[in-house]
Amino acid sequence: MLRLRELQLGFATAVFDDEQNGFDRHIRAAGLSGVRRLQVYRNNSLLSLTGALKAVYPVVCRLVGDEFFNYAAAQYIARHPSRSGDLHEFGEFFAAFLEAFAPATELVYLPDVARLEWAYHQIFHAARHSPLDLATLAQVPAQQQGELHFQLHPAARLLESAFPILRIWQVNQEDYTGDPTVDLTEGGIKLLALRHESLEIEFQVLEDGEFSLLCALAEGRAFATACEQALAAQPGFDLPACFSRHILQGAWVDFHL
Amino acid sequence: MTAKPVLSVLGPGLIPARAGIGLRAEHYDAVLQTRPAVGWLEVHSENYFGAGGKPLDYLERIRPHYPLSLHGVGLSVGSTDPLDHRHLAALKTLIRRFEPALVSEHLSWGSVGGRHFNDLLPLPYTEEALYHLVARVCQTQDVLGRQILIENPSSYLQYVESAMPEWEFLAELAQRSGCGVLLDVNNIYVSARNHGFDARAYLQAIPRPVVQEIHLAGFTVNRFDDGEILIDTHNRLVCPAVWTLYRQAVQRFGRIPTLIEWDTDLPELAVLVAEAERADAILEERHAQAA
Repeated sequence: MLRLRELQLGFATAVFDDEQNGFDRHIRAAGLSGVRRLQVYRNNSLLSLTGALKAVYPVVCRLVGDEFFNYAAAQYIARHPSRSGDLHEFGEFFAAFLEAFAPATELVYLPDVARLEWAYHQIFHAARHSPLDLATLAQVPAQQQGELHFQLHPAARLLESAFPILRIWQVNQEDYTGDPTVDLTEGGIKLLALRHESLEIEFQVLEDGEFSLLCALAEGRAFATACEQALAAQPGFDLPACFSRHILQGAWVDFHL
Repeated sequence: MTAKPVLSVLGPGLIPARAGIGLRAEHYDAVLQTRPAVGWLEVHSENYFGAGGKPLDYLERIRPHYPLSLHGVGLSVGSTDPLDHRHLAALKTLIRRFEPALVSEHLSWGSVGGRHFNDLLPLPYTEEALYHLVARVCQTQDVLGRQILIENPSSYLQYVESAMPEWEFLAELAQRSGCGVLLDVNNIYVSARNHGFDARAYLQAIPRPVVQEIHLAGFTVNRFDDGEILIDTHNRLVCPAVWTLYRQAVQRFGRIPTLIEWDTDLPELAVLVAEAERADAILEERHAQAA
């Protein structure tokens, strides 16, 4: 093996896994010890990756406090290291990690809050997309409409939680000034998170039928099947009005038969 | 004051021999609204690797008003892992879209075994590492279809294995790969203090023509029982000793585009602009001497 490769692997182990691997024999002793010098890199790396995680999950951080967050982040970084020089992808597994993170088990809503923040992060950086071609859609013959499949906007996500995660998210925004109390017993929520053309991101609370319709379409079900599922979830809801509202606000960007 | 429409004069391929500032998200609106009279802007390439959204949108709106430099922190040029072609492709897309005058990376590595540390980790200055770096820089320049600049990092340790000083390694890399040098004067100062070498000797060892950009920033001193170490934190004003070293650098290399970098505890835009004016004054002095 190349000596450079060996050195880099040893450095990584010393800094991130095992301080006692004897790597400091490669470091010139001058004033500060090799161990101390490696600590600088350990701190810098941990600080920058923790900072990146905090930037994606500010509400989770606010809910648990800096000290707890830093501890959780260090564990997360060890288990799910960054796999790219592009940090946009870092932090993907944080919600799942929190679900299994013993010190956080009492905060039952925390993983879902993290899911909401990850969705926000993805939407924030998602591609633009040209709007759906309404004129062409209108030409689809009525008897074929049931076979339509729709494509969700790249800057849209559907979320569901047994906890009031939107309320938790809202009262923990930096500029929030209202009543900060959250009633955890107020129940769950179904959400569409959507970035508009203006690049502003909006959360819309959905009813059961609406959520079911959007999820089915987003999963690639044909329009007729999605409608059946939606009406089963919420008999009698105004499906046509709901669907056209989402078409008009740009939740769907393309369709095919 | 508003910036002169330099682009129409220079075209996208040139950066003026003036001071510029690092553009950060917190200052997007202030830059658009006040158009500070700085010579150019630099951004971290990876911050614009997203598929869309506000960062790219802002950069698109700001770009017509300033020459631009793309500064990479995540390519991990010095790593012995295979070069990340997805990363390079994203960088190339960004270059095509924004036509930067300068594109830079670091004399460091940041990943091994597929694990990324989001840090600029030190290289041993050996023939083997030089050979590797030359190949990687050439590969990068081939894929991007252009020259890149390589920046000297701050370092907190030296390897027993190193067979030459950093300045020799960097100068050789530039000569063998054809890359330019982004000379970070603050990093030279930080490393010189951390390792006890003469910062001026560093400047003297870098060949004049390769230096195309200079960085200036603030550092932090961490004190321990057994000594102190300077950390390149980019969180405060440029220190007086670094201004002195900068003056010496400008004496040697001439009027080189100079960037004020500030990444954490970001102050108001006006503070960065004032630092840039200070650097501009030093560049002007040099100009007056030359005239």
